[in-house]
Amino acid sequence: MSASLSESFTIPVGPLHVALEEPMYFRVDVEGETITGVDINAGHVHRGIEYLATKRSLAQNVVLTERICSLCSNSHPESFALAVETIGGLKVPERGAYLRVIAGELKRVASNLFNVAILAHLVGYEALFMHVMQVREDAQDLKEAVFGNRMNLGAICIGGTRYDLDGETTDIFVASLDRLEPKIREILSTYKTNGSIQRRTREVGVLRTDDAEACGVVGPVARASGLHHDIREAAPYHVYDRLPPEVLVLEEGDVWSRALIRLHEALDAIRILRAALKDLPDGPVNLGEIPEIPPGRAVSRSEAPRGELLYYLKTGETEEPERLKWRVPSFPNWDALTFMLNGAKVADIAIIVNSIDPCISCTER
Amino acid sequence: MSMQLGILIAVFLFPGGLFALALGLILKGLDRRVAARLQGRIGPPLRQPFYDLIKLAFKRTMVPTFANQPVFLGAPLVGVVSMLLAVALVPLSGVYDPNPILGNLIVLLYILMIPAVVLMIAGSSSASPYGAIGFSREMTLMLAYEAPIVLVVLAVAMRVGMAQGEVMTFSLTEIIAYQRANGIFLLDPVMWPALAAFALFFPANLGIIPFDIPEAETEVLEGPLLEYTGPALGLFKVMSALKAVVVLSLGIALFAPLNLGGVWGFLGWLLELTLLMEFGVTAVRLSMGRMRIDQAFAFFLKWPLLLATASVVTVALAT
Repeated sequence: MSASLSESFTIPVGPLHVALEEPMYFRVDVEGETITGVDINAGHVHRGIEYLATKRSLAQNVVLTERICSLCSNSHPESFALAVETIGGLKVPERGAYLRVIAGELKRVASNLFNVAILAHLVGYEALFMHVMQVREDAQDLKEAVFGNRMNLGAICIGGTRYDLDGETTDIFVASLDRLEPKIREILSTYKTNGSIQRRTREVGVLRTDDAEACGVVGPVARASGLHHDIREAAPYHVYDRLPPEVLVLEEGDVWSRALIRLHEALDAIRILRAALKDLPDGPVNLGEIPEIPPGRAVSRSEAPRGELLYYLKTGETEEPERLKWRVPSFPNWDALTFMLNGAKVADIAIIVNSIDPCISCTER
Repeated sequence: MSMQLGILIAVFLFPGGLFALALGLILKGLDRRVAARLQGRIGPPLRQPFYDLIKLAFKRTMVPTFANQPVFLGAPLVGVVSMLLAVALVPLSGVYDPNPILGNLIVLLYILMIPAVVLMIAGSSSASPYGAIGFSREMTLMLAYEAPIVLVVLAVAMRVGMAQGEVMTFSLTEIIAYQRANGIFLLDPVMWPALAAFALFFPANLGIIPFDIPEAETEVLEGPLLEYTGPALGLFKVMSALKAVVVLSLGIALFAPLNLGGVWGFLGWLLELTLLMEFGVTAVRLSMGRMRIDQAFAFFLKWPLLLATASVVTVALAT
């Protein structure tokens, strides 16, 4: 429908682009408004954290991994600690395991709301953006009240958690969830019904189930494309076998269903939080002094807000790990962008890229 | 001599020129402030657009290496000059009547299209691919809203003209005089289709959400304006401030001129302008997201065109 220019041309999207929060670079071939080819280019901000990790002791690496990414700042030390505990044969006390679930799910609420808010911003719906960010602010306040920090919670240590909940904090927690839940329900129904959102996100950036499988996508992107995959359910860690998530799977595979899955998971996280707070057992929150970790290798997986986060750890005779490697959910999802962007409109580039909730600071480790 | 002087005053001082610029900037500041309050933010001070303009005036203008320099720098000048003329063309009921020598409604319609054309030229001369996309979008959008606005103007001209025994009149002064005598078109059911079509046209002409597609910041990084800096960018801001005054006061002249004169007429007009800005611009751009260019094009071929056609038909049948 749009007046197309006779010649096709190439436009650079990124590495610095107002609509992309982080430096990533796409070379997009365009004909008129339609994308005919995409070249995804990674490596603009190589950070060298994996190398840095081999120069730090295991305990220091808990702090380092927390700083890989701000939005999944709990999932990284969580997975790292799981790997260390596997090598050392450590058993996290039950209360500690529950508290880890609580920290992780609270981060999930805030992270998913953030992504959904950015979606509203990208379609130009500033009022909705502001509203969702305001609701997210409630989650941020709650994090600050419980952990003392808004982003990096500092909740995880090897062998358990560094924080504990007393009666008063638990009451604040529950009251805050009570305030948060109806607001998120309202946001969910807005995204389900609002014309502006639907117009720009339905049947946009579609990732078909077989393409999704071929790319090995994870997290909400996979679940929106009809793949039933959640590490919390497939390979329960902590106490997720007792607090199973309700995995929602949609078939459409478009930007809209990804947003709905994220909102559903924010609501589900609140349900899990409530259950975990109710069942929270007594006892120590961590193992206290950690015995020496023997040489060995381990892989651990956890479900970060963006999907499966995988850690590989190889320890040696020294305090420092010989190798620490992680595969973040954005890595396989990033690849799937080629399928989503092909044939899409220029106007939808930012919306589609945002729909995988890319985290470049994790990916370009 | 006095006629030339009157025209010069109208173009450069009041109601055009400095006055319209200050008014446009204040309206813009008001829009930003009210939008912020509605979103739960504090927002910038009312005079923020003035600060922005002053800041831009003292910056350097950079011209991209591959840009066509004369066109690149000339485009904003043409835009501002066209809008200065346009403001002087719109009468202010009971306060200001433009000299007929300046032109009538048809001239105004032509001049109103210049900013869009200027943006297209600016985008294509900047040698930026985003500018090129902005160019193509601006052109598409213009093609889409052009037909409805011409039909709306036609409907108004027919309504007034046929009442006076002619076929149609394109003098805004006469249109206002008719409404002062027979009641405003806002309250005339025969004119409601035209009013609705105009209401759909002016967000597109002013380039606000949902029709800010050519300059969509999160999609094409302001499109045609991407490569502009300093005073040249400032001129575009001046152009859009003047354009806001022109389009809003054209709306008032076409549909709701007040039957007042002197100071009260002026204050009433200011009030109408402010209300139109708040409800027609701020509220609209806050309550929805942006359309894609193909969606906007399809939308304009459907509703506004239908309403505008209906307005011409109802006017023809009713009069």
